[in-house]
Amino acid sequence: MTDALRYEITRLRTIRSTYWILGVAFGFQLLLTVLIAWNLPETGPLSGGDQTFAILVTVGATLGVAPLFIAYVIGLFGVFSMGHEYRHGMIRATLTALPSRLHVMLAKVVTTAVLSLVAALVCIGIALLSAVLFGVGLPSVGGLRDITLGTVLYTTLFSLSGLAFATLTRNQTAAVALLLLVPSLIEGIVKAVVLAIKASSSDPTSRGGIVEILKFLPYDAGGQMYTRVSLDDAFQVFGYKPFGAVGGGITMAVFVVVLLVLATVAFQRRDA
Amino acid sequence: MAVIEARGLGKSYGTRRAVDDLSFTVQPGSVTGFLGPNGSGKSTTMRLMLGLDRGEGRTTFDGRTFAELEQPMRHVGALLEAKPFHPTRQARHHLQMLAVANRIERRRVDEVLELVGLAAQAKGRPRKFSLGMGQRLGIAAALLGDPHTLILDEPSNGLDPQGITWLRQLLRHLAGEGRSVFVSSHLLQEMAQLADEVVVVGRGRLLTSGPVRDFVEHGGTAEVLLRTPDLGVLAPAIVAAGGALTPDADGLQRVTGLDAARVGDLAHEHGARVHELSVRRATLEEAFLNATGLDEEYRGAITADRPAGETGGAR
Repeated sequence: MTDALRYEITRLRTIRSTYWILGVAFGFQLLLTVLIAWNLPETGPLSGGDQTFAILVTVGATLGVAPLFIAYVIGLFGVFSMGHEYRHGMIRATLTALPSRLHVMLAKVVTTAVLSLVAALVCIGIALLSAVLFGVGLPSVGGLRDITLGTVLYTTLFSLSGLAFATLTRNQTAAVALLLLVPSLIEGIVKAVVLAIKASSSDPTSRGGIVEILKFLPYDAGGQMYTRVSLDDAFQVFGYKPFGAVGGGITMAVFVVVLLVLATVAFQRRDA
Repeated sequence: MAVIEARGLGKSYGTRRAVDDLSFTVQPGSVTGFLGPNGSGKSTTMRLMLGLDRGEGRTTFDGRTFAELEQPMRHVGALLEAKPFHPTRQARHHLQMLAVANRIERRRVDEVLELVGLAAQAKGRPRKFSLGMGQRLGIAAALLGDPHTLILDEPSNGLDPQGITWLRQLLRHLAGEGRSVFVSSHLLQEMAQLADEVVVVGRGRLLTSGPVRDFVEHGGTAEVLLRTPDLGVLAPAIVAAGGALTPDADGLQRVTGLDAARVGDLAHEHGARVHELSVRRATLEEAFLNATGLDEEYRGAITADRPAGETGGAR
């Protein structure tokens, strides 16, 4: 296992995509948080505090109006971790150096998780820096902890789902497409269809029923970890009550673990 | 030094049997050529040997499977396909990555780059490498752990004539040190100069294995080349003695069924003048074609014997 980890660390260290992904994530985080911090009012509810800092960290995703930008960029680490193996015919060279496929997969999970976690933490640090530079009121310790935990965990799980997609599809392009489309398009379509069905039912405001499905949309559920106010709240008139940060986080984590288990089994069984 | 023992290797793709109950042994201190027509299962066999493809059978290297080897690159070096590396990772970094996974000293990276003639391109990115340079980097990776066994799939692909000569000398040298070298190639002339033993497959099945010399002698047809102005006298005598003549270019006759001494004696007995009498030995190519003639997976529509209209094309 140690050898596989050393291999993965060297792989990440010696490839350009590691640096451009980090550059894009940090660069855009700096640019966007500076833009937001610069334009925040000096007084009023958005002049500082937990809510404002959460907006800054997530570049608006906490309001439910935009996806979590850093997750989509950092998530590429997960996809590329296995995607490069198949795209560039590296997988056979990798497995002749490290015949234990389980160790190879575990090393990729560990390095993807650690790198994504650290990169997300740096992005939060950048948001904190922007807040300090522009005199935005700092969050409480509890507020900082919660938004940090939510953002970092979501980003890490998002990356790991990218790794699972790349392993299952053995196709980097398909994995990137899945990682972009499942959270932002597929889940949105499912939500729209389910709500349309509920709205047209005889009792659209009753609790339960088909809308219960929406709680289990993994990325939407995971988003509860960092979302503070969301347009989804309006859907609660249809009896939709999301799990909340902990339940949503667990839902997303279970989804990602199941994906990773399936990916590992497929990786073990299939030809390289 | 390791004996490679492949036993009962098998692999199917859907209903097609790519490798079928294939068993052979590769002895240390020799270069064993792995021959077969396109699609005969050579590459699949090599992947099965290393556990990269899932299938039947078992291959051991001194009694242990590839998966059981600790730091396998120190035992078995493999080159399985052209350019198996990320296009923008420096050549040296590619080798360093493989080296750390097998606890191979960093200086060994520079040694193998020097050995394959890529020292000047150590910081080069494979995206800009020619096929031959890529192949050299693949060979460097195979040699990285100074392994006792080499498994190389078409290593001469893309190499120029100097490169092919270099590779031949390198592999002969490595075999001379007692290592087992198992190498596939479609360059039969090259293989004839390189290999001590051959394993010949067709449609995934073993056709023959053994020393190259035996394979050529039993599988090919030696001929006597004869040029005579007195063919009218000599030809009936040759036929009567059990030989057969086939006219070749420039009045040359190819005689089969008799050796050169017998043809010379017949000429003397019948007072026929002989301007040329030589032996053309059977070649590995002929032996290979004879051995695999019925097992060719992909056959062109036009052959010397049968024009396009008389064949069914690829089978």
